[in-house]
Amino acid sequence: MNLFQIISEISNADPEALERINDRRSALSALGDITKKLALAAAPVAIGAAFNKTLAQGAGSSVNSILNYALSLERLEAAFYTQALAAPTLASAFGANAALRAGVDKIRADEQAHVDLLAAALGTAASPAPRGYNFTAAYANIPTFLTFAQAFEDLGVRAYKGQAGYIPRTAMANVPNVGMVNVLQTALQIHAVEARHASYIRYQRRMAANASGGSQNQFGWITLDQANGAPAAVYGPGNPAAMFPSEANTTQNAAINLTTMGTPAYTAAEISESFDEPLDHPTVLNIASPYIIP
Amino acid sequence: MSDNLQSGGPDNQLEQPLLVPIKRRSFFMYAGATAGATALVLAGCKKDDDNTPVNNTPAVDLGSGDVGVLNYAYALEQLEAAFYAEVVSRPYTGMTADEQAIMRAIARHEAIHRDFFKAAIPATNRIANLTPNFTSVDFSNRQRVLETARTFEDLGVAAYNGAGPLLTDVSLLGIAGKIVSVEARHAAQIRELITPGSFASDVVNARGLDQALTPAQVLTAAQPFIRENLNGSRVGA
Repeated sequence: MNLFQIISEISNADPEALERINDRRSALSALGDITKKLALAAAPVAIGAAFNKTLAQGAGSSVNSILNYALSLERLEAAFYTQALAAPTLASAFGANAALRAGVDKIRADEQAHVDLLAAALGTAASPAPRGYNFTAAYANIPTFLTFAQAFEDLGVRAYKGQAGYIPRTAMANVPNVGMVNVLQTALQIHAVEARHASYIRYQRRMAANASGGSQNQFGWITLDQANGAPAAVYGPGNPAAMFPSEANTTQNAAINLTTMGTPAYTAAEISESFDEPLDHPTVLNIASPYIIP
Repeated sequence: MSDNLQSGGPDNQLEQPLLVPIKRRSFFMYAGATAGATALVLAGCKKDDDNTPVNNTPAVDLGSGDVGVLNYAYALEQLEAAFYAEVVSRPYTGMTADEQAIMRAIARHEAIHRDFFKAAIPATNRIANLTPNFTSVDFSNRQRVLETARTFEDLGVAAYNGAGPLLTDVSLLGIAGKIVSVEARHAAQIRELITPGSFASDVVNARGLDQALTPAQVLTAAQPFIRENLNGSRVGA
């Protein structure tokens, strides 16, 4: 059973289900609604989620659920780089490439900072970390590691973008030792850092491939929905596709046809590179969940 | 350096024109108070010495509310597009094939962003075409060109990050989100050409956050590169 998936399915079926559960009393009454929407086997998990919410007792639980979603992705990324830097299969390659090791360590530090910030903002409302992760396949060698890194970073960019519209622009969070911060603002600041990471990793892959006589045409940006070895779903459409199109999307506004503009006219590849696309919560978790041991 | 901005508090002159609730304003003070942000603003101020606008320079009012934010973005994209068009037409000495491909690609991306905003903003509310001022940039010098590109890209990221919460229309916020990550990809790509490993160095603080700057802060840094005097005092308000 995938816990994340179940919770997000509840949210999909009844977007307000989690929001309603703001205190102990409403948790009990809300359980009646939730169980109607679930297969019986899944009910105990939902009940657990309901009581976790009850314990959290936070106002604005919708924002908290977004923050917990972000926390789960940041934990995944932080663990991915922390374990990579300690992986015996990558040790000699990292030892021979100090610059790459430093770049990966910088990304690891940023991801850990994101984990710490989100956990601090959530306080007692923070979801528990999963039991572990399974990244064995990613650590076979440096090219494979970089391919996975690209997938996680590009996925992270899409995931944050997919939530931006759900964060009220006035929502504030109290971060210990920092004070009140605007949640949307902070999410955007994290989002841009993930994009910087993605660009760096993509360019490392280009240079590594070209240096070894191979060929990798990508730069820091995403051309159409080209995955270049990463899982295709990372660049594919979400659900609904009209809201979460693939990275190959060329229409940002039905009234504006960019392919008729420019001298020479802008190509589909160029237009797709100029706009990154959001991805919905369930699609992101479907891609990430094989690496999470819940 | 960051202490200067922080101790300025809500009374800091840079913040005065921004008519936003105190909470958000004080958050911007926190968000903007990074060494990188300060460096950008200072860099902008320094260039003012050489490029003081002449008295008869027309003023351009970006407007208020969401339209103001769109004009603000349109102004910045015009600046970036004009810069990269110049870089492409006058390649610096020693430009490699990869660097040429990067500059050409980014030039197209920024032109697409510019043309998108031009089409998206109603003509009656849209600012005119701006006149870039790149007299301070030696386009034959690789280091100077790449550092200017880095300034523009980092500034663009900080501008969109800061403007996001000013937008009331969620679909416009979505568009801004689609563009800002591309600007961040550009910034990291350019930075790797200057100093490998600097993709997220001084512009990302200890909490792992990229910069977020107010329109006033961003326009102060951008103004030396634009002939017209930009007035962004009502952007998002």
